[in-house]
Amino acid sequence: MANKRKEFSKIYDRCINKIYRFIFLKVNSEEIAQDLCSETFLKGWESYKNNPNIENPSAFLYRIARNLTTDYYREKGRTNFVSPEIVPIVDPKPGIEEKVVFNSDLDQVKLVLADLKEDYQNVIIWHYLDDLPIPKVAKMLDKSEGATRVTLHRALKSIKNEINRREVKEG
Amino acid sequence: MKMTDRDLIKKLQILKDIKPRKDWVVLIKTQILGEEREQFSLIESLRLFFQFKLAKPAFASLIAVFLLFGLFAFAQNSLPGDFLYPIKKIAERGQAVFVSKIDKPQASLNLANKRLEELTKIAETNQVKKLAPAINEFQASVSEAAKNLSRMEATSSDPAAIKKMVEGTKELGGKIQEVKSLGVVIGEEEFDELQGVSDKLEVELLISDLEERTLWTEEQKEILNQMKELVEEGKYSEALVMFNAEFNKPASPEPMEEPIDESEEQIEEPIEKELIEEVTEEPTE
Repeated sequence: MANKRKEFSKIYDRCINKIYRFIFLKVNSEEIAQDLCSETFLKGWESYKNNPNIENPSAFLYRIARNLTTDYYREKGRTNFVSPEIVPIVDPKPGIEEKVVFNSDLDQVKLVLADLKEDYQNVIIWHYLDDLPIPKVAKMLDKSEGATRVTLHRALKSIKNEINRREVKEG
Repeated sequence: MKMTDRDLIKKLQILKDIKPRKDWVVLIKTQILGEEREQFSLIESLRLFFQFKLAKPAFASLIAVFLLFGLFAFAQNSLPGDFLYPIKKIAERGQAVFVSKIDKPQASLNLANKRLEELTKIAETNQVKKLAPAINEFQASVSEAAKNLSRMEATSSDPAAIKKMVEGTKELGGKIQEVKSLGVVIGEEEFDELQGVSDKLEVELLISDLEERTLWTEEQKEILNQMKELVEEGKYSEALVMFNAEFNKPASPEPMEEPIDESEEQIEEPIEKELIEEVTEEPTE
């Protein structure tokens, strides 16, 4: 038991940052990200206790995190994960606060990423932020490498289009 | 403004900086992994503690070393008859291993002094029960010193070291008298033995020293021969007395009442000077 705890503690230390980032980029809220992230690790620990022979703990945690974020959006009645393309911004006139945020390129990218289709989000986060090579990303997405490359390309294009669209709207 | 893929990827990679708050990370970890721990029984948690902390070899040996050092340091103030006194002795024996053969007589003499200090402390504080073991310890250390001293050779050893030992022995004799004045009865046997060895060394050193000199009156040669005879008979202290009477007379017309042991202490250096002075100034007797 003590050993399992020690092992999981190592996994926690190794994965907490990327799982948190993964969730945060999807929900774009510190509070919600913290809730979902702690739930992810709690669930992970419970499964790990019963079966510590998980082949890839990080992929395992990502799966939990994905399920939890999906559940979260389902509960909130949001459907942006279901829709095939980007959900347009609901409020056409962003408040001052949001405007300031929008001025920063980075936050812009962040916001656009948060509104992206789930597969696009995942492939971008895993490949560009977690630096996972395409074959590994493909395995996690349960897709072929070719299909993953296509998804990645489309995801980038989708972000660019959305950024341009928003810039035009603001300008 | 058109954004290239490269720009976009760069921006995306900056998002790597997104990190959870440190305190939150720690808090959640203890909440998830720590909650369980509280449900364990006391034994379980004790077991965990030992497994986690003490079972680590580095940690265990560290504790052992600390305990040992503490014990040894604490034992240094113990007196004969105390619970920790054997540990003090072990420590001293351990130190003795690192002492070279040449330094051994000096080291054992130091130990004898230490024993005497302990004895003094006990006598001063009237710890009657500890008195007997302390006296035994002291006498054992004195005979040990005598044994080590007897291994010294007057001819081969460093004269300065012998001189130091001889002085040390005399000092010890003085201290013994002090302790005796406190009412402690100490057997003389061991110290006499030490004194004997010390006298022998001193005389041998003197003779070998004298033999190297070339300026002799007949009288002095005669005395030297007598001294040698006495030495052969084992009467070292008498030989010493003879030497002092003849060679160690004050050179100047100073009063004779100078105490003998003080003049003895001067032997080493003044010997040459005094001899020369005496010889050139023609002997008075």
